[in-house]
Amino acid sequence: MTEIAFLLNGTPVRASAADPARTLLDWLREDRGLKGTKEGCNEGDCGACTVMVTDASGVRALNACILLLPQLHGRAVRTVEGIAGPGGALHPVQQAMVDHHGSQCGFCTPGFVASMAVGHLNGRHDHDDVLAGNLCRCTGYAPIIRAAEAAEAAPVPEWMRDSFDVEGPAPYAPASSDALAAWCLEHPEGTLIAGATDVGLWVTKELRPLGPVALLHAARDLQRIEPVPGGLRIGAGVTIAALREAMEGPHPAFAELLRRFASEQIRAAATIGGNIANGSPIGDAPPALIAMGAVLHLRRGEERREMPLEAFFLDYRKQDRLPGEFVEAVTVPDAAPGLRCYKLSKRFDQDISAVCGCFHLVREGGKITCARIAFGGMAGVPKRAAAVEAALVGREWSLETVEAALPAFATDFAPLSDMRASAGYRLATAQNLLLRYFHDIAGDAVSVLEVRA
Amino acid sequence: MTREMTHDGPDADHRLDGMAQGVLGRGEPRPEGALKVTGRAVYTGDQQAPGMVHGALVRATITRGRVTTLNSATVLEMPGVLAVIDDPRLVRFSGQGATTKPPKADAAGVVYHGQPIALVVAETLEQARHAALRLTVDYAEEPGAVTGPEDPAAEVELPQKKQSETGAPDAALEAADTVIDRIYRTASMSSAPMEPHASLAEWQGGKLVLHSTLQMLASAQGQVAAALGIEPEDIRILAPHVGGGFGSKLGISPETVAAAIAAQQMRRPVSVVCTRPQSMETTSRRSETLQRIQMGADDEGRLTMIGHEALVSNLPGQKFSEPVQQATHFTYEAAHRRVVHRVARVHRLVAASVRAPGEAVGATAFECAMDELADKLGLCPVALRLRNIPKVEPGTGRPFSSHKLAEALTEGARRFGWEHRHASPRARREGEWWIGMGMSSLVRVNTVMEAKARVSLSLDGTALVETDMTDIGTGSYAILSQIAAEMLGLPMGSVETVLGDTDLPASSGSGGSFGAASTGSAVYLACLELRSRLAEAMGCPEPELTLKDGHAIHDNRKVPLSTLMGGAAMQAEGHLIPGEAEDKARQATWGAAFAEVGVNAITGEIRVRRMLGTFAIGRVLNAQTARSQALGGMIWGIGMALTEELVHDARDGHIVNRDLAEYHVPVNADVPALEVHFLEERDDWAPMQAKGIGELGICGAGAAIVNAVHNACGVRVRSLPMTVDKVLAGLVEAEADQG
Repeated sequence: MTEIAFLLNGTPVRASAADPARTLLDWLREDRGLKGTKEGCNEGDCGACTVMVTDASGVRALNACILLLPQLHGRAVRTVEGIAGPGGALHPVQQAMVDHHGSQCGFCTPGFVASMAVGHLNGRHDHDDVLAGNLCRCTGYAPIIRAAEAAEAAPVPEWMRDSFDVEGPAPYAPASSDALAAWCLEHPEGTLIAGATDVGLWVTKELRPLGPVALLHAARDLQRIEPVPGGLRIGAGVTIAALREAMEGPHPAFAELLRRFASEQIRAAATIGGNIANGSPIGDAPPALIAMGAVLHLRRGEERREMPLEAFFLDYRKQDRLPGEFVEAVTVPDAAPGLRCYKLSKRFDQDISAVCGCFHLVREGGKITCARIAFGGMAGVPKRAAAVEAALVGREWSLETVEAALPAFATDFAPLSDMRASAGYRLATAQNLLLRYFHDIAGDAVSVLEVRA
Repeated sequence: MTREMTHDGPDADHRLDGMAQGVLGRGEPRPEGALKVTGRAVYTGDQQAPGMVHGALVRATITRGRVTTLNSATVLEMPGVLAVIDDPRLVRFSGQGATTKPPKADAAGVVYHGQPIALVVAETLEQARHAALRLTVDYAEEPGAVTGPEDPAAEVELPQKKQSETGAPDAALEAADTVIDRIYRTASMSSAPMEPHASLAEWQGGKLVLHSTLQMLASAQGQVAAALGIEPEDIRILAPHVGGGFGSKLGISPETVAAAIAAQQMRRPVSVVCTRPQSMETTSRRSETLQRIQMGADDEGRLTMIGHEALVSNLPGQKFSEPVQQATHFTYEAAHRRVVHRVARVHRLVAASVRAPGEAVGATAFECAMDELADKLGLCPVALRLRNIPKVEPGTGRPFSSHKLAEALTEGARRFGWEHRHASPRARREGEWWIGMGMSSLVRVNTVMEAKARVSLSLDGTALVETDMTDIGTGSYAILSQIAAEMLGLPMGSVETVLGDTDLPASSGSGGSFGAASTGSAVYLACLELRSRLAEAMGCPEPELTLKDGHAIHDNRKVPLSTLMGGAAMQAEGHLIPGEAEDKARQATWGAAFAEVGVNAITGEIRVRRMLGTFAIGRVLNAQTARSQALGGMIWGIGMALTEELVHDARDGHIVNRDLAEYHVPVNADVPALEVHFLEERDDWAPMQAKGIGELGICGAGAAIVNAVHNACGVRVRSLPMTVDKVLAGLVEAEADQG
């Protein structure tokens, strides 16, 4: 019998992990009768199922609907029921939500409360970001933001501090990258699950059987960011949230792009390795990494190889990854001061990019010596604009050069029309983004965020 | 004892203003708030019953035809599967609101892609979902499915009652100094409440007990009765908490009927909880619209002609059609008028009421056209509107019950800083961003519905309000408690309100902005009856009786209520009956919306920087809930203008973006600083002098954004939502025009 142990609302619990694909949300609602945590979409879009998860790395808000039960071994979970104190005392964010009318129909409320309680515990005041992964159809958000502000100064209730030590290994979870490498050799067609923000949907939406699975969260050595000569080696298991924090110093443009990567809850679960390995043409990290000149590290057993990241993406959803091989790390340079990342989407947060363009030009003595330009949403893979780059390199850094390079976009890309944008729009804005890049480097305000009343 | 009132005319007494408790109108927090923030409020999908099993809807993979065989045998062998229900009483889509007529049965007859055709029942929800997907179905497909309203093959009807013409519109247009003639499009939209649709049915000795996600319980009870062929008295519906509705829960849904039939057949409680895609694909939607708006004006900007033609869609045989021109008839003056209303018959999910059916899209398009006219006349958009406000209702000559549009416009303009707007587009640039301002009038018809409520007064000094009214996030629990507290002179904490149960007196239900005023009036009437009896005991005329903090006061006497009650609890019912008032006066709520936007010159991205709304809704019953409704409505305007669009597959009509990842309701970061201001108003023609606020915010707010985009960058997008590609195409054109 495969069992896991974790802390639920302050109480140690054990749960069967016979089915590795059972979600925390289903377990909470069906097995524990804890119905406060809601299912609004079952795919990590709405945040109604948000819970608080504590482990050695800190306290995070996660979507229970795509959190697999075995991932919780050795952690602590608090649901909306356990955010209220023993005896029913309201948590400060709960009281503020009542006082400020932050709850109307109430269905999204438990998720907002969980996100707010985590933000409160972590001392965060950037409420717009903290709550970016929660949808509300009633309030217009303002009353919720006001509630979050009102609760800022209240002390964190003592019951919110969870700590839990668990003996024994987590099931399905190799404890190191070596163990993972061995597992992958034994199960060349197995499914690797890092944050489950994509694989979770195979389960909840496609009802797909996963076959043999390996959970990556216990392989702590994959979660390191280490300096290497000339750069930073980022382990595949580093979450997008951790990566964003690490990039704020060396690569602020990349960090700002990651701010709009999905949502708070998704960033706290999803990993950079998963974002690369799943090969989506519209993942937001690969274009930036390619523009930076990132190097991908793959491992199969004891064999390792590396390649420029762009070489990994062969065709739509087809990557250069052998059976039994896995993404171990990605290395980014120390600095890329010319890097700029532009995400275009209909909604500001929680939206897949229509176009994501990342530019990194190096100039010397007024001439462009190196150009790396990569796009998401423009082809079946994250792709470099080779012809545009060729039209720029060796030429003078001027508006004329930039304008002369614009037609080359049509050589590089033949985008599709879909719900997110038309082909014509994609091509036109790709060109415009190069113009934006020119002005951006020249110091004009271009960020979406710089437009404020 | 029941106190009845038939609403036949104005009431200038304003009794509520003379009460002493002072809780009505205040922003009282909702009494069920603590339940909601701790996860203890129980919604339909949270309900459990002993022995409960789960159902999952099976859905058609063709657009039009008939199910010939459900190959049930294979799925019946799957683990946990108990039954496949294919009853002729299963319904195809959701019902309309405020009617006991159920939605079309015979689910084996397929009229749109994704239609429920059967229900699989299993021990667990996963087993049921799995089997529902595995079930193979044979169909006899019918050719000729038309899936788009503008398909030339679409049959188009012109319902006679919805056409009208006054004067000589063509001649007036010909003679006008300035003419606008434009086509606007709005997209098909989803209510997308946060709570997916769900029902739990259980039969108890021949009586059906149904937990269901519904906005209007009394009419739903009638719909279920008719759908199942049983008596309404044999059905009890419970919905104490509903996670938003926005129209999609006005009538019963396929899962409601399926759960009831399955529970009867299985002799066990059956729960059917829709997945998010099912909730979006099997209930109802707002019709897309194509609107041609014509206007003629004289050289002083007075409208001489108004023409408003609309093409909307619905399934063949459906009576409902999006009432696009509902407010066009009375919003602005013009001697010559024409309204043409066409309904294209399409094989898409049924069209029904979504928050503010009619004005949400009709006023929005019309207010865009008004902006174009102002532009052409070289007139301030606020001034143009002020110049065309009618004194009486055009066409009928009926008086307006109260008319606050002018005040809403001028007050809004003042507070927003409208005088800082540049008259010409492309006048303000900040980096890559064009900045502009726009505005629109807001207008929504106001109506009341029949409603009953019961109020009981106990000797311990507490009151209980009971009605089958729902609280779908609107604040019914708070507002009804406040009305009773105010009328009976009790602190809020001494009043309890119980809702959402058809065993209680039948209310208006929640919808059409009529809930608070209608059911609130029933509570008010019940309290009046109690006041009369208390006054009798006090020995004074009822109007002279002061009730405050649990005491009755008259002259120099102050008596605890319990003393006055003579040792017996008291109970009364209130019953509001809509009467002739609606025919005698045109009643509407009015407002104005102002927006400031940034438009990115090179990507077409739009950021709303700030928005302000002024609202005249009569008496404000709860300052907080009213404000929230106004905010929520304005945000729906942002969604309509910028992000929300149900995309139908051109081949088979199915909804492509049937989830919250791709159907884009605005996120927090899309919502700017919003301001809401209520104008002081008492509408004598409205019971309690209070009107509705649930919908007004969306009735034109999107146009303020569209118009602001034009003011910013000179681009007129006439097809909503204004996605980046449409804006950029316009920007390219605008650049070319400037040479």
